[in-house]
Amino acid sequence: MKYAFFLGCLIPAREPNYEHSVRKIASELGIELVEMEGANCCAPFSIQSVDYASWLALAARNLCIAEEMGLDILTLCNDCYESLLMTNTILKEDKETRDKVNEVLADVGLEFKGKTNVKIFSDALYEDIGLEKVKNAIKEPFNGLRVAVQPGCHLTKPKRIHFEEIVAAAALDELVEATGAESIAYERKEACCGGPLRGINDEVALHVAKQKLDGVKTAGADCIVTVCPFCYNELDMGQLEIKRHFKQEYDLPVLHFAELLRMAMGMKLEDWEVKAHRIPITKILNIKETK
Amino acid sequence: MITILNTEKVNLLVAHEITNGDSDLSALDAYFMHEVANMPRGRGVLACIQCGRCTSSCLVARVVEEHNPRKLMETIILGLRSDVLRGQLPWHCLSCFTCLDRCPQGGDVGEAMFAIRNLAVREGNIPNGIVVQAQSLFETGRVVTPSRMALVNRKKYGLGKEPTVDVEAVKKILRKTSFDKLIYRGS
Repeated sequence: MKYAFFLGCLIPAREPNYEHSVRKIASELGIELVEMEGANCCAPFSIQSVDYASWLALAARNLCIAEEMGLDILTLCNDCYESLLMTNTILKEDKETRDKVNEVLADVGLEFKGKTNVKIFSDALYEDIGLEKVKNAIKEPFNGLRVAVQPGCHLTKPKRIHFEEIVAAAALDELVEATGAESIAYERKEACCGGPLRGINDEVALHVAKQKLDGVKTAGADCIVTVCPFCYNELDMGQLEIKRHFKQEYDLPVLHFAELLRMAMGMKLEDWEVKAHRIPITKILNIKETK
Repeated sequence: MITILNTEKVNLLVAHEITNGDSDLSALDAYFMHEVANMPRGRGVLACIQCGRCTSSCLVARVVEEHNPRKLMETIILGLRSDVLRGQLPWHCLSCFTCLDRCPQGGDVGEAMFAIRNLAVREGNIPNGIVVQAQSLFETGRVVTPSRMALVNRKKYGLGKEPTVDVEAVKKILRKTSFDKLIYRGS
């Protein structure tokens, strides 16, 4: 498989460890990631809140770049996924809006034709690579690890632009369980991490994150596994802030799903990647070592 | 013998009640609901039956006493334009889309929030955190930019080459849509 690789803003700026694990997994599974030259920000929630037409045009520009490459887009972030997928859906369905957007895009020499599809990493693994192939690549399973999966909102919502909510969430659970770990049930699993309000209203964001962490802790998880870089940041760094703010400590390591899978495939995290986690993940690494 | 109520008077009474008498009721704008509905993503406001399922689904409503999506829809329907557009409530929404999936009317409350925020921005109501992201986007093509250190580390970690962005294309698009005028107001 070959994809137009949409990295977005947050991952190269703050979470290179996420990107690194994805690249390692991709080369193991024979997935080719082609850089999208000149691509811009996906235009997430904050930008959509300012202006509708600007959102669609910016997101569509990225879709056009992938169309010219003749490839489907692979994203690693729920927010990029939501923005690009929703724009792709709207522009494919609604000719009037498509014409308006194309009028803007003409100024930069592009035209949206509706020839690309948008996928997020977990969906691409599940739909294009296949669960069997992923299972066959597992060399050092995480047997007995109790994982609280955080799917994040825009992996599955809104329903009308995704294949069934239940199916998308279950696909991620199956992928996590392919690593040998157990995806446990916990309260408010489907709920938001609070991340979208980061920088806009930090206090509310923190309270929402706390609700999530309470549910995870009560269920007795060993760690949290995220697919979205915003969820990752909110739940990892958020724990430090919650400790300061509420004097409450959870000590819940947070792993990117790609890190979990990569380790299960027998590839160790490098020192800098282990250190990138604000909540130490040594507990998880030790569980693995003692096996 | 029945008494026919004056609709306008009823609206005034309800509006008076839900704002605790704080609002200027002479400014009730019956057209406001349609103004929102005519914005992109705003149509859901017409479908609202005030059932409250959005509020009971809302994570922020559990945290912030004043945040109540059903009530926000009500204030729009009643026409309390400046209360809605100058207030902070639309900016408390996470856009998690839970309400959108659960609305029995297919009313898209979470989508209507974008229409409301787009209108609020035009009234100058835009949180600083959004301005920072929007200006960064206009100037660099990204809402978050990698630090020099992050770029040095990319090489060290053996990641792919530095991602490129065509800032001029971004600026051209955003000038055409007048985005710059919305985010550089007053600065």
